Amino acid sequence: MIRTGLWIFAGLVLGGIIHIAVILLLPALSPTAAWERVVALGPTEGTRVLAAASAGEPNPLRLDPELAYAVCMIDLRSGPGSVTGTLPQAFWSIAVYARNGTVIYSTTNRDSTSNQLDLGLFNAAQTRLLAEQKLDVADGLLIVEAQQDDLMVVVRLAPPHPAVRARYEQALAGLRCGNIAT
Amino acid sequence: MIVVALGTGFGLSWYALNDGRLLGAVEIGPWQAWRDVGVPGPDPYTRAYIARSGSLELGASEGLQFTATLDSDNRRLDRACRYRIDGSTPPARFWTLVPVAPDTGAPVTRPGGPTDFHSARLSRASDGSVELYISKALAPRNWLEIAGDGPFDLVLTLYDPSSLSGTGANVATLPSIIREACA
Repeated sequence: MIRTGLWIFAGLVLGGIIHIAVILLLPALSPTAAWERVVALGPTEGTRVLAAASAGEPNPLRLDPELAYAVCMIDLRSGPGSVTGTLPQAFWSIAVYARNGTVIYSTTNRDSTSNQLDLGLFNAAQTRLLAEQKLDVADGLLIVEAQQDDLMVVVRLAPPHPAVRARYEQALAGLRCGNIAT
Repeated sequence: MIVVALGTGFGLSWYALNDGRLLGAVEIGPWQAWRDVGVPGPDPYTRAYIARSGSLELGASEGLQFTATLDSDNRRLDRACRYRIDGSTPPARFWTLVPVAPDTGAPVTRPGGPTDFHSARLSRASDGSVELYISKALAPRNWLEIAGDGPFDLVLTLYDPSSLSGTGANVATLPSIIREACA
């Protein structure tokens, strides 16, 4: 009886260890992360407007059908990144993702006085150069420091009505995204 | 011992990432959200959930997303039934409500029709509250037509919910989901 109880107890302890291992290893092993899903859509250079979610069509990235989305991938090993452009007068927001899908920075246009988006992405070494004024960047650039070099930027834009969606998607497609020439 | 170990290890992991109410998720009525899904350093459970779901999560300052799989009486949402979504929503710049298929995330609305409710395009009562209907058959007021059979989930996304930035815990005013009739 005691022996059986001990075996079950040992099983539960081992189960706990398996559980912790699964939770901690899953982010590294998961083949379904958002990053891989975006890469699977095609070339990752420049800005890409994602197809709108529509009825009956699979929606693995769980996009909101009301919003228009632009994504772009930036590798900070090739220099600091930037996302710039002008967006229409409507709600928009920007999120910067690490490769594992966590959001390292996000903001909305709530406090912005213009429709201009100017975001600069810098890793730790580049931030140091920036502080030492060894990097030349445009004035008014919103500076975001990242711990990772592989970044994905997603801009969400909310057209006030489905009828104007195409025009809003064009504005997203016009965003410039890539590495700053240094 | 091996059976107990595997059952506990994987069973608990599956539960943690699918339900997660005891771990990283907040629950308000039938609605659930992963609280730390949009912050830079989420806890290990939220991190594993993000990896497994593979969706583009909203950043903490962009908004907050709630999902309901059950109605307010804890019955699975079913496309054969008519649902009334009743009440007011927390302050936000706007919100959307989308009925989606649980496995693919595809909107389950009638192809060619509207895919969702948008807070700016609804008829409201004088106190600002809303009454929404989701069903296959025609319903009064704000109606969203769904198609197909089987279960579905409701996804409520609040964009720029300025008054609840940071915590997400003071969202006491999410609408209830009331099952009215089933075909």
